[in-house]
Amino acid sequence: MSEHLRIENLSVEFDGFKAVDNLNLSVDKGELRCLIGPNGAGKTTTLDLICGKTRSSKGSIQYRGREIANEPEYLIARAGIGRKFQVPSVFRQLTVRENLEVAYCRHVGVFANVVRSGHSPESDGLEKLADFVGLSGYLDEPAEHLSHGQTQWLEIALLLAQDSELILLDEPTAGMTHQETRKTAEICNRLKGKHTIIVVEHDMGFVREIGEVISVMHQGTVLAEGTVEEISRDERVKEVYLGSVGIDDA
Amino acid sequence: MFEIFRNMTASRRQTLVQVLTYMLFCAAILIFPLFLDNDFLLNRYARYLVLGMVTMALSLSWGYAGILNLGQALSFGLGSYAMAMALKLRTVPVHTGAGGLPDFMVWNNVEKLPWFWEPFYSLGLAILAGIFVPVILAVVLGWFMFRGRITGVFVAIITLANLVVVNLLIIDQQRFTGGFNGITDLAQLEFFGFEFDAYSKSTYYLVAISLSLCLFGALALTKSKAGLILQAIRDHEERVRFFGYDVAVYQIMAMSVSAAIAGIAGMLYTVVMEFASPTFLSVPLSLSIVVWCAVGGRQSLLGATIGAIVVAGMQGALSESEAFLDTWMLIMGAIFVLVVLFLPNGLAGLIDMLARKAFGRGRHRKSDGPASDIIPTETAKSP
Ligand SMILES: Nc1ncnc2c1ncn2[C@@H]1O[C@H](COP(=O)(O)OP(=O)(O)OP(=O)(O)O)[C@@H](O)[C@H]1O
Ligand SMILES: [Mg+2]
Repeated sequence: MSEHLRIENLSVEFDGFKAVDNLNLSVDKGELRCLIGPNGAGKTTTLDLICGKTRSSKGSIQYRGREIANEPEYLIARAGIGRKFQVPSVFRQLTVRENLEVAYCRHVGVFANVVRSGHSPESDGLEKLADFVGLSGYLDEPAEHLSHGQTQWLEIALLLAQDSELILLDEPTAGMTHQETRKTAEICNRLKGKHTIIVVEHDMGFVREIGEVISVMHQGTVLAEGTVEEISRDERVKEVYLGSVGIDDA
Repeated sequence: MFEIFRNMTASRRQTLVQVLTYMLFCAAILIFPLFLDNDFLLNRYARYLVLGMVTMALSLSWGYAGILNLGQALSFGLGSYAMAMALKLRTVPVHTGAGGLPDFMVWNNVEKLPWFWEPFYSLGLAILAGIFVPVILAVVLGWFMFRGRITGVFVAIITLANLVVVNLLIIDQQRFTGGFNGITDLAQLEFFGFEFDAYSKSTYYLVAISLSLCLFGALALTKSKAGLILQAIRDHEERVRFFGYDVAVYQIMAMSVSAAIAGIAGMLYTVVMEFASPTFLSVPLSLSIVVWCAVGGRQSLLGATIGAIVVAGMQGALSESEAFLDTWMLIMGAIFVLVVLFLPNGLAGLIDMLARKAFGRGRHRKSDGPASDIIPTETAKSP
């Protein structure tokens, strides 16, 4: 397997506080990597740095051998990186169908899109997608009428429509029922191989179900890396994180 | 499968109803002169239609793309000056002053026609200028604002400031612009053998047809994928970037198309009014456009158009009696406050809501959001 994403000595400071501190991380193509760690460990910030939402103060991020650190967000997205945010963010005034149309972004140029209908011929595929996440009954409903859970699913559908090569998921199962969590795990398992996925998650049951390699973050750096078993044996990890949550409780 | 089909027709049906409504409106304004044989009134209604057109242009940038352009009158005024300059140069020498110079230049001791007046000998170039000068200004301003990620109320302030600067410049450069008086005593517009007397059916039709074409052009834009992306930007600008769209380019596009339509409206305004004046690119007019747009419904092109026609029409009717003229600004302010508080999507939103109540569950695009969302802000938008 070839290296898909490589992060070296990445750091960012917020007013002197190092949210990410000399982080090194390497993810192979088709891999599903879980990123865990206590609150405030810098997991979300790491994803923000990868997708360009936050600018790094030092270090490099190479995506398929190309340096993307501090590039504008839209170029990073075009290079093939998609993101699901911790707080569900969809277009609330647009209908579910329109949300999916926006996310389906094969063509991003303004001139091409002026002559292209807002109702693309690919709509059928998008409808299947809505069906897949259980929103087919809401296609013509504005997203603001959806429940919190449905909004989560809509955002997952947006990611599927975007069809990025590298997908960053920030706590995708937050607020989901047990069943929904299983379904999300199933989707992740189905996507891996074809897509590279980095999942930030607190739910250890979920991590168990999908995780191959887990990276544990603490105070802005990677503390340990390994399989679920290796991680749960690691003394340092127990100390900072698992001691309180308990990887075996899940 | 049947479910999908049913849903698809629901959204298609919505578009169909919309197109039919727009066609009905255009048909109404086009057959209107058949029932009104009064050139004076026709001229007045043509004026309202032009104001409807510039307000529709604002709805495109404000309602669809979330860009509150308080300087909308800038594009309008520049268009109107472009037309006035061309028509001034077409007046017979008697009105024009000595040596083919416009009269006000003669009074200001200008000896030679300034270089930037020269192209306006050609009506074609003048019309191009009336469209592209506003567009280029919008692109430049948009470039600085949107590349710098300026949003919300700052866009409003910058566009307003920009309008004030150009307005002062035009008043100040009296030698070349006619200053406070503007450009008056114009020739009649003529092209393709048609004469457009301000007080005639032909001018009314010119305005009505232009408005109809622009309305449908703008509607087509909002129905395109780009239109959808603009609405997504209005909703959640940051999120759009992570789908790979260059948000600034889309915002610049929206502002430019809006400027082009406003420029055309401005040219028509000169034809209807028979002069151009700094008041056409003044702050009061610009703010009136915003009020009309809000009253009619900023998220509906047709709503904004009708909002302007109705409110400007009311103003026209009331101004017949002197007593009302003074209170007009008060009345308008009160209407604006009421709309902002109770009808965030204006009359169009109200009609939409009533139709939904009458015909059951439909596609409710327009949210009845809080009044505060009348000015888009960055807060609560970051993911
Ligand atoms: N824009 C910012 N300005 C200042 N501090 C920030 C900013 N973003 C994040 N931080 C700080 O950086 C640290 C890491 O935050 P981050 O959101 O990455 O943690 P996390 O690992 O995702 O935690 P959680 O599990 O709670 O989501 C936190 O202490 C946070 O307060
Ligand atoms: Mg987080």
